[in-house]
Amino acid sequence: MAVYKRRYNSYTGSLTPQWSRFFVLTRFAFADLFKSRFFVLLLIFCIIPCLFFAGFIFVANNKTMQLLLQLREMNFFTVENQYFINVVIAQAQAAFLLNCWVGPILISGDLTNGALPLFLSRPFSRADYVLGKLSVLGILLSAITWIPCLLLFSLQAGLARDGWIWSHLWMVVPIIFCSAIWILMLSLISLAVSAWIKLRIVATGIIFVTFFIPAGLGEMFNAIMGTIWGRLLNFTYVFRLIVGHAFREGAVRLSRRGWEEIPIPAAWGALIFVCLLSLVILNARLRARETVRG
Amino acid sequence: MTPTIELNGLEVQLGGRTILHGLTGVLNSRAIGLLGPNGAGKSTLINTLLGFHTPSKGSARVLGIDSHTSGKALRSLVGYMPENDAFISKMSGVRFVRYMAEISGLPSEQAMERAHEAFVYVGLGEARYRPVGTYSLGMKQLAKLAQAIAHGPKVLILDEPTNGMDPPARKRLIELIREIREASDICLLLSSHLLRDVEETCDEVLILRNGQIASICNLVEERRANRKFLELETIGAETTFTSALESLGCECAVFSSGRIKVVMPDSVEIREVFKVAADRGVQIRRMNHRRDSLEDIFLNAMEQTGAADGRL
Repeated sequence: MAVYKRRYNSYTGSLTPQWSRFFVLTRFAFADLFKSRFFVLLLIFCIIPCLFFAGFIFVANNKTMQLLLQLREMNFFTVENQYFINVVIAQAQAAFLLNCWVGPILISGDLTNGALPLFLSRPFSRADYVLGKLSVLGILLSAITWIPCLLLFSLQAGLARDGWIWSHLWMVVPIIFCSAIWILMLSLISLAVSAWIKLRIVATGIIFVTFFIPAGLGEMFNAIMGTIWGRLLNFTYVFRLIVGHAFREGAVRLSRRGWEEIPIPAAWGALIFVCLLSLVILNARLRARETVRG
Repeated sequence: MTPTIELNGLEVQLGGRTILHGLTGVLNSRAIGLLGPNGAGKSTLINTLLGFHTPSKGSARVLGIDSHTSGKALRSLVGYMPENDAFISKMSGVRFVRYMAEISGLPSEQAMERAHEAFVYVGLGEARYRPVGTYSLGMKQLAKLAQAIAHGPKVLILDEPTNGMDPPARKRLIELIREIREASDICLLLSSHLLRDVEETCDEVLILRNGQIASICNLVEERRANRKFLELETIGAETTFTSALESLGCECAVFSSGRIKVVMPDSVEIREVFKVAADRGVQIRRMNHRRDSLEDIFLNAMEQTGAADGRL
């Protein structure tokens, strides 16, 4: 089928391994994303807090700098559990913003003009498709959550010396684990929304609504019923609870705010339920052919 | 030899309704046409062959591979051109085809090369850098064909490929399909409402009606049989006329309003028909000398209900 011959020839060359093909979706999605200047600016904006956190570590480990700043409370600059909780939560919020911009276009573009049958008529399953799209958000959100967190951890370990790294090494697990949970939940929600809503602006709005309206409804439920279980609808609170617990700081921090805590298993249950619900929605929408009932 | 398509009591239910009712048949030709009126189950059959629908009973095999149990293996051999719009509107044509080729397993460089070649081959070379969303309907059809052939499939499934195309574009597309069929060992399954499309490109036809096989007809054999016949419109023809023709070795079929179809052996000439008519005072008002077209086969299949094995 050479261009100059204009003749059809079948392909006899090598093929890529089947397991790696989901990454084609990821690669093409990244190529499209980086064409947008707004996306690049947003990505930079999401990484900026890490620079401040890095500055904080630098000051915390530099007595001269602390003297120059003439700080009265010298304990202000300590890099312990609470510091990493703040980093993880701040970057989780940045991830939410980035997800609101990137997530809604990932699937809707394929569904708008019926391209899904083209993907699924190849040796490519729906799971591969979802994995390819999830990888886009997974890689992107990782780049602004646990990867910079680990870099900050390494920076602190390098500057603190005196065996700091060994006494704090356990924090690597909650840094990665909590970020991964947040990334997974955000990604699945935005993919589910993207599979339903074709317009980006509406889809972004729906993602915001998913996070803020249930939280408000939950608080209303709490006020009316005199209970705390409505907080399960506040995903940000649920995430904070899990982060605090994972960093062994949860009870202290939240009790200061005068909140009675919901049990950690219930918090986990809420996040798992949201993830499963998103998967059910994706399963219903991502079909090569729709079946009309009746 | 492995049959191209093998259906064993294939039944498919969608939304609680049975769409395909126990289809059984073997199609051996390299180019198979799928015919039937709207709602006959053509697209459902194609979707089942692609593994999009799960059979509730029976099975379907393409080149010996079960569409349900070995769906991925089967789809690795297939190039599919869907009936409806199927594209990514913001992507340039060549990038869209490259994307699809890479998903089929072609390495990036080869996918790019094949995408350019496929685009030039289908005649969209000049438009390959334009977003697919800006293409006309006919161009979109060609882009769909390009993505279906770019990865060099062994089976090409085309669902209503000439939909929305003007006559020259349709002619060009049919030529392309024929070229593809001739130039390689590719198997072709073409679903169309247009009998002419199927007649021009296919060797065997599967006619569906109400989710059942109305007929399986080997066009090559039909053409080889060269069943030329006369179509007569007569006045005054009675059974004696047809009996006299039959005594000459002809086969006759009498229809209403004096219409008679006469299949003649090579030894009988037309003037003998005139002689028999003159002897019996039968007026021949019109005479067409023609052969069975796919239209006749299709119409016959539509008239027949519950044919035993569907063969004409």
